[in-house]
Amino acid sequence: MRLRALAALGAFLAPVWLLGQQSLPVTAKAAASTATAKNWTPPRTADGQPDLEGVWTNSTLTPLERPAELAGKEFLTAQEAADYVKRLLQQVSSDRRDGGPQVDVGRSYNEFWRDRGNDLVADRRTSLISDPPDGRVPPLTPEAQKRVEATRAYMRDHATDGPEGRTFAERCIAWGTAGPPMLPGPYNNDVQILQSSDHVVILNEMIHDARVIPLDGRPHVGPEIREWMGDSRAHWEGSTLVVDTTNFSSEYSFRGSDANLQLTERFTRVSPDVIQYEFTVYDPTAFTKPWTARVPLNKTADRVYEYACHEGNYALTDILAGARAAEKRK
Amino acid sequence: MLAPANAQNQAFKPPRTADGKPNLNGIWQAMNTANWDIQGHAAQAGQVVSLGATGAEPPGIGIVEGGEIPYLPAAAQKKKENYANRLKLDPEVKCYLPGVPRATYMPYPFQIVQSGKFILISYEYDGAVRTIYMDNPGPAPVDSWMGWSAGHWEGDTLVVDVTGLNDQTWFDRAGDFHSDALHVVERYTLAAPNVLNYEATIEDPQVFSKPWKISMPLYKHLEKNAQLLEFKCVEFVEELIYGHLRKQPSK
Repeated sequence: MRLRALAALGAFLAPVWLLGQQSLPVTAKAAASTATAKNWTPPRTADGQPDLEGVWTNSTLTPLERPAELAGKEFLTAQEAADYVKRLLQQVSSDRRDGGPQVDVGRSYNEFWRDRGNDLVADRRTSLISDPPDGRVPPLTPEAQKRVEATRAYMRDHATDGPEGRTFAERCIAWGTAGPPMLPGPYNNDVQILQSSDHVVILNEMIHDARVIPLDGRPHVGPEIREWMGDSRAHWEGSTLVVDTTNFSSEYSFRGSDANLQLTERFTRVSPDVIQYEFTVYDPTAFTKPWTARVPLNKTADRVYEYACHEGNYALTDILAGARAAEKRK
Repeated sequence: MLAPANAQNQAFKPPRTADGKPNLNGIWQAMNTANWDIQGHAAQAGQVVSLGATGAEPPGIGIVEGGEIPYLPAAAQKKKENYANRLKLDPEVKCYLPGVPRATYMPYPFQIVQSGKFILISYEYDGAVRTIYMDNPGPAPVDSWMGWSAGHWEGDTLVVDVTGLNDQTWFDRAGDFHSDALHVVERYTLAAPNVLNYEATIEDPQVFSKPWKISMPLYKHLEKNAQLLEFKCVEFVEELIYGHLRKQPSK
C-alpha cells in the first residue's frame, strides 16, 4: 500500500524481559518441530523443484538480538514464553490511553499499522540470531566502528539539512528490513516467492523490492557493478534453496556492513505453512566474525500489494520544508 | 502490422513450460521510441539545452493502430498542455512508477517470470513490478500505479485484464494521459522463439471517445548471462525534488 503511516520508523521493539524463575533446557515444542522437518516431504513445482511459492510473513515478537537480561539463556519454556508475550504485547503497544487525548490518538493511529505478530518463534529461541551462541551481532571491527559512528554523527548534526541527513528508508531508497537479508520490520512483513524453471523471484512488499535470481549457475556480475540489493545467485542443496549475494553498494549498510558483505540465505520448507529462513553474514572488514540468524516465514493468505514509497513520500518534503520554516521564524 | 505476425504465429509452435503453457520466460524489450511519443513523430531537439544531441528526441513510426488517439475535446486540450509542460509534468522525470502499458515500451528491459500459479513481470526501470494473478483475484482492492492484473490463457495468448490504475501515470513523454477509469487489456503472444507480440486495448470513457489499440513486437535479450540490473532512480531525483528545500539551496 502506498501509505507511509508510521511517524517514527526507527522505533523498533525495545523489550524488557520479565521472566519466571525456572530455567529449563530445549523444549518439547522445539523438538517436535525438528521431527516435523525430518518426516515431511515438501511439495514440488511442475518442474520438480521444492515448492516455496506463495506469500509468507516473518512477523514475530522475537528480537534479532538476545536481550542482556537473558544472557546465557537460549530458549524459553512454554510458561516463560506465555508470560513474556503477554507482558511484551502490553508494553510495546502504543494503543495505551494514558497520554492525554492528542497523544493517545497519535499512538493509536500508529498502532493500527503495526505488524509485529502476536507470538515468539515456534522454538522459543530468545533471539533470531543463532550464531554466535550469545545471540548477539558480533562486535564491529575498529574500522567499521569508526565508519558507523561517523554516519551517526552526520545524521545527528545534519538531520534536516537535506535528504542525506535522513535514513535510506525515509528516502524510499532501501528498506532496512526488506533486505537482503530479510528481517521483521514495523509493518508489511510480507514476501512473495515465485519460481520458474530457471529463476526464483523474492518480492518484498516494502518499497516493491523484487530480486529476480538466476538458478543456472552463472557467475556474479563484475566487481564494478554495485547494487543496493546486491547481486544474487541461487542453487538447490537438497530441498534447500541457497541464495548467495555479493556486489553490494558501498552506500548500503546492514547493521554496519560495508561493500565486502557476502550474504548466504537458506530457504527450507519444513511444513506446509513454514519456510525456515536462515541467513549468514560474512564481512571480515566490518564484523569480527560471521553471524547467522533464523527467521521463520509463515504462510499467509494475504496478497502482496503495491508499496509506492517514493510516490507518496510527503514526509521527506515536509521534514525539510518544516525545518526551513522553523529557521525563518528564529 | 500484426497480420504477418499472426500468419507466422500459426506455423510457430511456442516452447512450453512444464505445465504445458506457452513459455514466456525471459528478458524482453521493445525496440521502438514509443516512450517519447506513442504516435508517429519526427526527431526533434530535447528540452534540456545542456544535453545537446544526447537529449534529443528520437523519431518513431508510432504504435497506435490507425495513428490517432481518439481524445474527447477537453482531453485533447489537456494533452496539449501536458506536452507543453512535459519536462515538469511527466511522472517519469520524477522516477514515479510507470503504470501499464507504458512500462512495456520504456527503453529498459523487463523480465517475465512464469510459474504455475502466477506470472510476475519485473521491470528494470525503478524496480517496478506486477503480479499477474491467474486465479481470478476479483476486483482491484484499491487503485495503484501498476494496477491490478488478472490473467488467463486464450489458446496460446496470455490475456491480462488490468484495472485499478490510478490517474497519475502517462503513456509517454509527450503528455498522453488517462484518468483513473483506465482499463487496459493486454495480449502477449509468442510469434517466434525470440519475438513476443504485444497488443493492448485502451479504454477510458472519461478521456477517449472510443477504445483504441497499441501493438508492437517485443524482443528477447540473447546476451550471454543477460540479467536485469538495478535502476533505483529515486536517489537520482532527490536533487530535482528536494534540492530547493536544502539548508543551503543548491541553486
